[in-house]
Amino acid sequence: MLAQAMSELQIVETALARAAQRRRWSRALRGLWHGLLVGAFLSLLVAGAYHLFPLPRWTLLAASLVTLPCLLVGLLVGGWRKPRLNDTARWVDGRQHLKERLSTALELGSDPSAGRWGQLVVSDAAEHAKGLDPRKLVPFRLPKSARWALLFLALCAGLGFVPEYRSKAFLQKQADKQTIKDVGRQLAELTRRSLDQRPPALPPTEKSLQAVEALGSEFTKKALTRSEALKDLASVADQLKDQLKELGKDPGLKKLEQAARASTGSDSQTAAGLQKQIEALQKQIGTPTGNPEAMDKLQKDLQKLQEAAKGLADKNSAGTEAERQKLSEALSALSKQAQQMGLQMPQLDDAISALAANQPELVLKDIQASLTDLEKTRDMAKSLAQLQQQMEKLGKDLAEQLKNGQPEAAQMTLQKMAQQLKAAKLSPDQLQKLLQEVSQAVDPAGNYGKVADYLKSAAQQMKGGDQPGASQSLADAAKELEKLMQQMGDAQQLQAELEAMNRASMCVGTGQCWSQCKNPGFKPGGRPGTGVGTWADENAGWNGQFNDHWDNTGIVRPDQDPRGLTDRGQGDLSDALKPTKVKGQFSPGGQMPSITLKGVSIKGQSKVSYEEAAAAAQSDAQSALSQEKVPRAYQGAVKDYFDDLKK
Amino acid sequence: METEQAVQNFRTAHANLRAELGKVIVGQDAVVEGTLISLFAGGHVLLEGVPGLGKTLLVRTLGEALDLSFSRIQFTPDLMPADILGTNIVMEIPGGRREFQFQRGPIFAHLVLADEINRATPKTQSALLEAMQEHQVTAGGELRKLVEPFFVMATQNPIDQEGTYPLPEAQLDRFFFKILVGYPNAAELTEVLSRTTTGASVQVSQVLSREALLDLMAVVRQVPVASHVKDYAVRLVLATHPGTETAAPIAGQYLRFGSSPRGGQSLILAGKVRALTDGRFNVSFDDIAAVAPLALRHRLILNFEAEAEGITTDHIIAQILKDVPRDAQVVVA
Repeated sequence: MLAQAMSELQIVETALARAAQRRRWSRALRGLWHGLLVGAFLSLLVAGAYHLFPLPRWTLLAASLVTLPCLLVGLLVGGWRKPRLNDTARWVDGRQHLKERLSTALELGSDPSAGRWGQLVVSDAAEHAKGLDPRKLVPFRLPKSARWALLFLALCAGLGFVPEYRSKAFLQKQADKQTIKDVGRQLAELTRRSLDQRPPALPPTEKSLQAVEALGSEFTKKALTRSEALKDLASVADQLKDQLKELGKDPGLKKLEQAARASTGSDSQTAAGLQKQIEALQKQIGTPTGNPEAMDKLQKDLQKLQEAAKGLADKNSAGTEAERQKLSEALSALSKQAQQMGLQMPQLDDAISALAANQPELVLKDIQASLTDLEKTRDMAKSLAQLQQQMEKLGKDLAEQLKNGQPEAAQMTLQKMAQQLKAAKLSPDQLQKLLQEVSQAVDPAGNYGKVADYLKSAAQQMKGGDQPGASQSLADAAKELEKLMQQMGDAQQLQAELEAMNRASMCVGTGQCWSQCKNPGFKPGGRPGTGVGTWADENAGWNGQFNDHWDNTGIVRPDQDPRGLTDRGQGDLSDALKPTKVKGQFSPGGQMPSITLKGVSIKGQSKVSYEEAAAAAQSDAQSALSQEKVPRAYQGAVKDYFDDLKK
Repeated sequence: METEQAVQNFRTAHANLRAELGKVIVGQDAVVEGTLISLFAGGHVLLEGVPGLGKTLLVRTLGEALDLSFSRIQFTPDLMPADILGTNIVMEIPGGRREFQFQRGPIFAHLVLADEINRATPKTQSALLEAMQEHQVTAGGELRKLVEPFFVMATQNPIDQEGTYPLPEAQLDRFFFKILVGYPNAAELTEVLSRTTTGASVQVSQVLSREALLDLMAVVRQVPVASHVKDYAVRLVLATHPGTETAAPIAGQYLRFGSSPRGGQSLILAGKVRALTDGRFNVSFDDIAAVAPLALRHRLILNFEAEAEGITTDHIIAQILKDVPRDAQVVVA
């Protein structure tokens, strides 16, 4: 009897266990849908917030991914707890209207004191438990939350097609950040390249350049505002300027800088190098006596004959015999002329022969070959002429080299002299000649700092017969020159960095990327920028102490030559354009003082677009503001004015 | 097998008794069912209804169907306790001597019909207190046991308030059920008219002996009740206690006093009888809920606000049944 009751209890328990398992799955699925609902709602919320507020981009990714963890959490929370049999029994009793048969049976079945009544209850429950079907009892259905979750997901997907709202200020800020990063990257790259190409000779210069590189790197890493970036740029630019000024204090650089400004880019070649190039060209050309202009004339004549030969080839009739004769004579005359100029043109003779053989195609081919040879020869002759001109410019001796600002040549000359003296194989005449050259170079060397002193001592030592001492002095002078050249190189490097910094300031100030932004104004030693033509160059006086005594006579500036027509008149400046000094007073908080000036209208078409000019002006204004050049009381007004210009 | 047989006997006896009552009583199923539940549970019944609805007839018929002694007491304002319990009177005994002898009152019967109980004075009504609770009376300084089983079937009329005395709470609490007797419907009324106006007489048979009844009453008490079902009954009773944490909101608003533990006993015992009559071996939530109005309505004391608003205890019990969850531990899937 007891065994029967136990088996009946097992029937009840088995049925309940199946129902409990099904119920657990049902809960898990419902939890999953609830999780999806929560996730979809969060996604919608975050996506909506992203569309309305300037949230970072990753929030959109988070919005799309948040659903998954919510889904899993819902599933776990729903299915985590295993329903107890007692709970399930009560739930099934209620669900199936079993009048608490199963729950009472479970309770009494495990209670030995229940006796016969307990067995009766269990039997009754087992009868009812046999008919239980968990699938009917707990059907898997989509809960209401599923519909809401799908609706939210659809809304999220729909939101993807809606453009997000961003304020102008925010967009401007983002653009600024992008620009600052771009500028930083370019600045760091430029400086890195500069350091790789030519490591600075002086530690302070290296330090300054490293500071620029660090600033560029900082721009790429940190999120800075426009004003912060400009402030940092101005700070580092000031550091570079101070460095340049420090370098400029060395008087020995004066001549070098002058030479650098006047140079056309080919002065760095040594005399020996030039001589080698000239000899190589002469070897190629042969010994032509004609100049390039004569060769041009010869070429034009040949081209005419080529045209005539073409006409002859087209006609191919009896009446052309006279023309062939005429062409043959002209070619003979041209061949003679070329021989007189020293040019070897065997193709011309071949053409005459071909003409005689009535082979017009061959004639044309030979003439074309002659023309090609002639063009090559003419180009080489031109190059030769240019090299010879440069050779002429190079100083012939040490004095001239120092005077002309050719330190490399002078250094080589000094080293050569020092070696000669060291070798002590000089005859008295040669020694005298050397002494004379050194003595003559003392005066021009005055512009090169200690070089003059070394040359003086060398001259004295040579006079005193102390050849080794003189050799050492000359070597010292060469070293001093080398040091000056290194300083000059550092200064040029700093100048280039300063220009890059200015360009960076302009980019940041105007919100343009590096490639769009070109530094306006005159670049020392180069072509003017594409900005307004005659911008004042703030950094022109890096070695400012020279400005008062600037001597630019003899400097050739073809890029600054007047061009085109102008109605500005000749001679003195118009009275209306003469600068007038106006006394102003600071009145913080009040209106900006304004004056009306008469002006002269400048006719003609500007080559600079308004936007570019406005951008350049704005950049300068930003720079001035960031460097505290504008009184604080007027900073707001100045900023507003230039901001309005942009609009 | 004895248990199954006892259960089967119970169902048979119940059905027979029901059938015999049905010969006389037309309709009033709920009243008859409530009365039988009280009978098998060993409780007293208070039947309340307007005159002429068959309250007295029901009790009288029940007395006829059971092989039990039956007495009827018509409660009147001048009825005295001694008229119910009995009294010592001087009796002449052989030998010419006289002595006091106790003359038993009508209370000394198995089934006592207390007709229009609220017409007696509280003093007389109180005479029933000891008898109903302890099944004994104290008269003339002596304790006298009543016969078992002992049932009091009282009736009262809710109208005719003049000259009536509402039953005291202690008295009311001793009734197992308070059954409201309602009007018959058209079909029932037609049947009543047919039966009572044709001169036909109905013979009610005795279907249950005293011993059999006592056995069945013992079977009822053996029916098991699951802990969560018992807990439901407890929570129902506790929900009627105003001013406690367990009180239902409506109890706090409209009740002065809630049910006594006797209310809980009534719920469980009545539930057991109902389970047996339904062919089950266990008590269900439905059993408890079904008997709750009968068991609790006379145990709840309304406050002034409830009386002013016309709220009845039945309203309150219905609301409590809604508010109290059947199984607080079950999580709905």
